[in-house]
Amino acid sequence: MTRHLPRRSRLLLPLLVLALGAAAFAAVGSATAGAKSCGTVTLNEQAWAGSTANTYVTKYVLEHNLGCKVNITQIAEVPVYQAMADGKTDAVLEDWGHVDQQKQYVTKQKTVVMIGPNGVTGLIGWYIPDYLMKQYPQFKTWKGLKGKETIFKSPESGSQGMFLGGDPSYQQKDRTLIKALGLNLKFVSVGAEAAQVARWTQLYKQHKPVLFYWYDPQYLNATYKLDMVQLPKRFKGCRDDEKQGGDPKLYACAYPTYTLEKLFSKKFATSGSPAVKFLKKWSWTNADQSLVASYIAGDHMSPDKAAEKWVKANPKVVKKWLT
Amino acid sequence: MTTTTVSADAVEPAGEQRGDPLIRAHGVWKVFGPHAERIIGSPDADLPRGELREKTGCVAAVRDVSLEVWPGEVFVVMGLSGSGKSTLVRTLIRLIEPTAGAIEITGRDVIAATPAELRDLRRHAVSMIFQHFGLLAHRRVIDNVAFGLEVQGVPKSKRLERAAEMLRLVGLEDAANQFPDQLSGGMQQRVGVARAFAVDPKVMLYDEPFSALDPLIRRDMQDEVCRLQEETGKTMIFITHDLPEALRLGDRIAIMRDGRFVQVGTPEEVVGSPADEYVANFVRDIPRSHVLTLRWIMRDARPGEEDGPRLDVQTTVREAVPMIAANERPVCAVDGAKVVGVVDRDAVLQAIAGERD
Amino acid sequence: MSVAAERVATIPRPAANQWWRHRLVLVGAVIGALVIVYQAWSNGYQWPSALEWKSLSTGLDNFQTWLSDQQSSAHPNVVFSVLNGISTGLDDLVSWLATLFHDLTWAGTTALGVLVTLRFGGVRAGLWVMGAFLSFAAMGLWEDCVQTFALMFAAVILSLVVGMPLGVLAGRSDRFQRAITPVLDAMQIVPAFAYLMPIVILFSVGPGAAVITTMIYSVPPAVRITALGIRGVPANTVEAAAAMGATRLQMLAKVQLPLARKMLLLSVNQTILFALSMVVIAGLINTGQGLGSLVTNGLNTNPALALLAGAAIVIMAISIDRATEAMAERTDPARMHVTEAIRGRLRVATAATGAAIGLAVGIGYALDAGSAYTNVGGSPDWLQARLQSALDYVENPSTFVFSITSWIGNHLVEYGLQPLQNFFVETPAPVMLAGLTLIALLLSGLRPAVMTFAMLAVIGVVGEWGSAMDTASQVIVALVLTMIVAFPLGVWVAESARVATIVRPILDVLQTLPQLVYLIPFIYLMPVSIVPGIIAAVLYASPVVIRLVAAGIREVTPNTVEAAQAFGATRTQVLLKVKIPLARDAIMLGVNQGIIMVLAVVVIGGLVGSGGLGYEVAYGLQQGQFGPGVVASLAILALGIALDRVTRGNRRPRLEGNR
Repeated sequence: MTRHLPRRSRLLLPLLVLALGAAAFAAVGSATAGAKSCGTVTLNEQAWAGSTANTYVTKYVLEHNLGCKVNITQIAEVPVYQAMADGKTDAVLEDWGHVDQQKQYVTKQKTVVMIGPNGVTGLIGWYIPDYLMKQYPQFKTWKGLKGKETIFKSPESGSQGMFLGGDPSYQQKDRTLIKALGLNLKFVSVGAEAAQVARWTQLYKQHKPVLFYWYDPQYLNATYKLDMVQLPKRFKGCRDDEKQGGDPKLYACAYPTYTLEKLFSKKFATSGSPAVKFLKKWSWTNADQSLVASYIAGDHMSPDKAAEKWVKANPKVVKKWLT
Repeated sequence: MTTTTVSADAVEPAGEQRGDPLIRAHGVWKVFGPHAERIIGSPDADLPRGELREKTGCVAAVRDVSLEVWPGEVFVVMGLSGSGKSTLVRTLIRLIEPTAGAIEITGRDVIAATPAELRDLRRHAVSMIFQHFGLLAHRRVIDNVAFGLEVQGVPKSKRLERAAEMLRLVGLEDAANQFPDQLSGGMQQRVGVARAFAVDPKVMLYDEPFSALDPLIRRDMQDEVCRLQEETGKTMIFITHDLPEALRLGDRIAIMRDGRFVQVGTPEEVVGSPADEYVANFVRDIPRSHVLTLRWIMRDARPGEEDGPRLDVQTTVREAVPMIAANERPVCAVDGAKVVGVVDRDAVLQAIAGERD
Repeated sequence: MSVAAERVATIPRPAANQWWRHRLVLVGAVIGALVIVYQAWSNGYQWPSALEWKSLSTGLDNFQTWLSDQQSSAHPNVVFSVLNGISTGLDDLVSWLATLFHDLTWAGTTALGVLVTLRFGGVRAGLWVMGAFLSFAAMGLWEDCVQTFALMFAAVILSLVVGMPLGVLAGRSDRFQRAITPVLDAMQIVPAFAYLMPIVILFSVGPGAAVITTMIYSVPPAVRITALGIRGVPANTVEAAAAMGATRLQMLAKVQLPLARKMLLLSVNQTILFALSMVVIAGLINTGQGLGSLVTNGLNTNPALALLAGAAIVIMAISIDRATEAMAERTDPARMHVTEAIRGRLRVATAATGAAIGLAVGIGYALDAGSAYTNVGGSPDWLQARLQSALDYVENPSTFVFSITSWIGNHLVEYGLQPLQNFFVETPAPVMLAGLTLIALLLSGLRPAVMTFAMLAVIGVVGEWGSAMDTASQVIVALVLTMIVAFPLGVWVAESARVATIVRPILDVLQTLPQLVYLIPFIYLMPVSIVPGIIAAVLYASPVVIRLVAAGIREVTPNTVEAAQAFGATRTQVLLKVKIPLARDAIMLGVNQGIIMVLAVVVIGGLVGSGGLGYEVAYGLQQGQFGPGVVASLAILALGIALDRVTRGNRRPRLEGNR
C-alpha cells in the first residue's frame, strides 16, 4: 500500500486544492443567492394529511418561486403556540380554533398573530358508515342512538357500546358529550389517527356497526362512504363549551363549523420577508387540499412530489398567490 | 553462604543496639467496625475475637502492638493468615488508618502527619513490596519501575535511567520493554522489588512477597533479598506466614497471633525458648540444630578449658557437630579473639534431643 | 441491561427455608378476599372525592401560563434566563452538530465513520458501520439519520460529561455511591412518559428538550459503569500506588482511569444504546427532525415510513454497539502492549486515517456531493410501498392472518383484560388499597408496604385512581404473558447451549429496539385498542426476564447439581427440584424487573389506545393541558414505585451485595 502512496498523492494534491476552491466558491454562491430573497422560513406540519398538503405546497412555492429555504417542524396543535412564542417555528397554516391558546398567546402575550382563514372549512363530528345509516335511519340524529348503543359493542367496551375516539392531539370533547347526552357509550381511544383508521376501516370492510370521531376535509372520505350523526346544537349538559366562548345560557353542544386559520409568530409577521406576503395571500379550497392529501396518504407519494404535481397542474392559482 | 550472612547480623540481642530505632511503634490498635475507637481501653478489648465480634460487631485485627526496628535490621513478623500481620504493616504507613497508637519512622511522627507529609514519607522514606505485586498492567516493565519516581515528579530521562539501573540490579534488564502480564510470577516480583528500590528508601516493607510463588522460585527470591540487603543495608520489615522463611531472613522475629505479638526475639530465642504452647507448636518441626548457635548452648568456660579448639560463637550447632564430635575436649566459642564460653558433647546432644520432645 | 446484569451478580444464595410457601398461600387468600369484595360491592366506594386534591391540576395549568408569560417577557428573571439559555444552548449544539455533518458532505461523513472505526475497532467493526451507512442511503433516510445522530451525539457527550465524573466519585467513595444509587434507580424506573410534561413546561419543545429527556435515561448507565470500572481496578495496584505516595489526582490519572479504560469505553457504549432507545420518545417533544419524529408522526400519516425509521434506529444501534465494543477491546492498554515501535506505527495509521477523511471531504466538495446521499434510484419508495402492502395485507379483514390475530386480540380483551380491568377499577378503592398494601407486606416486608400504601394514596389524592387501576390491570396481564413466554425460554436457554446461541442475537435486537417501534406492526395486526400495547410490552420485557431466569438457573452451583445427580435424579428432577427452587430469587427479580419494563411500555401504549395513565399523558401533552398531564405523570411515578415495592421480595438492598 505505502509504496503506491506517493504517486497517488501527487495526483491528489491538485485535486484537493481544486476541491477547497470549489467549496469556497459554493459558499460565496449560496451567500449571494440568500441575499436576494427571504432566507429561511420554518413551517409547522401537523399530524393530519391535509396539513401535510398545506405545508408542502407552500414549501414548493416558497422554494421555487421565492428562493426561500424552508424548514419543517412537526409539533402538535396546542404546544405549537408556545413554540411560535419561542420562535421555534414561524407559521401554522391550519389552526382548528383553540380558544384558550388564542386568548393566551394572541390576545394577552401578543407573541402569535392571526392572519386570516386558509380557505378550508372544517367539520368535526360523530360519523357512522353509510350502510349502517341505511339500516338504521334513526341514527341521523343523536336521539336515534339512545337505547341502541349496544349494537356498537366491542371487546373493549364491555356491556356498553363503543365510541371510537379521535387522535388525542385533535380538537375534541366527546367524553363530555357522551356524558351530557346520557348515552350508554364507552369512550375508547386507540390513540394515533393511523390506529383509529385501521380500527374503523376494518369494521367498515366487514360491514359491522361503528360510531367514531371524524372530520372533513379528509382524503379517506372519498374512499369510504360515511354519514354524520347530528348532535344537538344546544343541550343542558354541554357546559364545558362555556369556556370556549359560547353563551353559558345556551349550552353549545355540537361541534361548530370551523373556519381554519393561519397563524404567524410575531417575529415572522414583522420580519418583512417576501414569504410573509405570500403566505398571507395563500389560501385554497377543501377540494384542492383533499386532492393533494390523497396523493400523499392514499397513493403514498412523497409530499414533495405530490406538491410539485399539484402546483404544475394549477399554475393559475399559484400565480394569483404570488401577485 | 547466605545463611551465615544473616546470622552474622543476628547476634545483636535486644539491649545493645546501634543508635536510635528507625521505626518505632507503640500501642498500635486496629479495630474494624462501628465505633471502633470506643472499644480500646474498655474491658471489651481483652475479649477473644469471636466474642468481641458477637458483642460489638467489631473485629480487632491488631491489638496493642509495639515494636522498634533498628537501622539495617531485618524484622520479621510471622503469623498465620488472619493473625493481623498484613494489617499491622499497613498501619505503619497508614495505608490502613490505625485506631490508636503512636508510630514514628525516621524520626517523623506518622500519625500526626498531614496528607502531604505522609505522601513525602511514602515517596522517599518507605517502600513497600506486595504479595500480589500491584504492577500497572498498562505500562511497560521499565515504566513500572520508574513509577515511584514519576510520582515524585522526577524528569522522564532521569527516572528511566535510574529504572534501567534497578532492572540490572534484579537481573531483568532484558525485560524492560515487556509488559507485566508477559512475565512469570517470580519475574514480576523482581519488578516489584526493583520498583521499591528505585526511590532509594530507608525502610522496605515486604508484605508476604513470596507467598504467591513456587517453592523453588521462592528460595531464589529469598537469596536475592539477602543479597540486596547485604549490598544496600536497608532496614526491613518482612511479613510472612512461613516459619523457615522467617528464620532464614530475620534478625528478629515477632510471632503474631490474634492481633498480638506473642513473642519477639532472635530466631534462636524463638526456637530455643518458645514463649508459650502456641509458639512451641509452631517451632516443633524446625530442626533446632539448624537454628541454634553455640551462643545458645554454651556454658561459661572452666579454668583450663579456654585453650580447646575454637569455633565462632555464631556457628550453628549442626555445623559445629563434626568438630565437637571429633574432639575429646569441649570446644571454645569465640567472639573475635575472646573466648566467651565452651560447648561440650552433652550440650550438643541435649540441643539435638530437644528437637524430638 | 447492564443494570440487570449487575443485579444478577448480587443474587444472594437462597436460604433453604420455606417461608415463601406460606406467604404465597396468604397472598392467595388476600386476592381471594378482594375478589369476594369485588363480587359483593363492585362499583361501590370509589376513591372519596373529599380526599382529592382538585385544585392541583388547575394550579399547574396556571403555573404553566405564568411560566409562558415569564419566558416570553422582554426581561425574564434569572431562573428563566437560565432555563431559556440551557434550552437554546442545547438547540444550538444539536443544530451545530448537524451542520457539521452537512459540511462534511455525505462522502466525508461516511469516511469519518468508517475509517475511524476501522482504525480503532478493526475490519469487522468497520464493515458494520459501512453497512449501516449503506442501509441509511438505501432506505432514503440519510438526512434523518444525520439529525438523529447529531441529537444522540449531543445527548451522549453531555451524559458522559455529567455521568463519568459522578461515576468516578461513586467508584472512589462508598458513601457517595450509597447516596446516588437510589437516584439512579429512580431515573431508570420512572417511565419517560412521566417526565415529558415537566420538561416541556420548563424547556419548551425542540432538540434541547429532547436532549434533556434522553439524558435522564442515559446518565445512569454512564455513572454506574464508570463506578464499576473504577472499583474493578485491582485493589493491590491502587494500594501499591498509594504506598508510593501518589496523590489522589495521580492515582486517578495514572492508575485508575487507564486501568478502568475498557469499562469506561463500555460505559460509553451503554450510554449510546440507552440514548438511542429514547430517540423515539424524545421525538414526541422534538420539533420534527430525525428518525424519532418519523416514527411518532409516521404513526399518523405513513406507518411504513415509521417502520423503516424504526429499522434505521435498530441498525444504527447495532452498528454503534459493535463499533464501540470493538474499540474498547482493541485499545485496552493493559492488553495492547504498546512499545515505541508499535506506537510509531499507530501514529502513522492515525495520520493516514485523518488524511483519508480530509481527502474524502475534499472529493465530496469537488464532486458537489451534498449533505445527504440520496442517489439510490427509486428504491426507498419501492421499499416503503412493499412495507405498506404488507401492512395492508395484515389489516385486511378478509385475509387468513386477520382471522387469527383478531381472534387472539378479541379473546385477550374479552377474557383477560376486560374482567381484570373491571376487577381493579370497580373493587372499592379502600379495599383495593388495603389489599395491595397487605400483599406488599407479605411479599416484601414492612417498609415496602408502607411505601406502597403511601404511593397508592398519592394516586388517589391526585385523582387518578381509576386510570391508574386501569393501567395496573394491563400491567398484570402483560406481566403474566411475559412470564408465560419468558420463563420456559429462560430455562431452555440455561439448559441448552445451542438454544442460547440462537436466542441471544434476537434478544439483543429486541432490547435495542425503541419501545414505540414494537407498537407499530401490532396496531395493524390487532387493532383492538389495548392489545398492541400489551404485546409490545411482552416483547420488550421478555428479553430481560429470559436473561435473568437463565442466569439464575446457571448460577446454581455445579456441586449442588452434581450431588443431586449422584442420588440418581433425572434431568427433569434436577431442574424441578434443585435448579428452579434455588433460582427462585433470580426469578423473583425477573418479575420485578419485568413489571417495571412492562409499565414503561403500557404507558407509552397510551399513544395507540391503551388508555389509562398513558392516554392522560399523551392527551395532556398534545392538547397542551399541562395540569392533567403532570398529574398523570405523578400517578405513573407513584404506580411505578408501588409496583416495584410490591414485587421487590425480601431481598436485601442492592448495594450491600455489591461489595
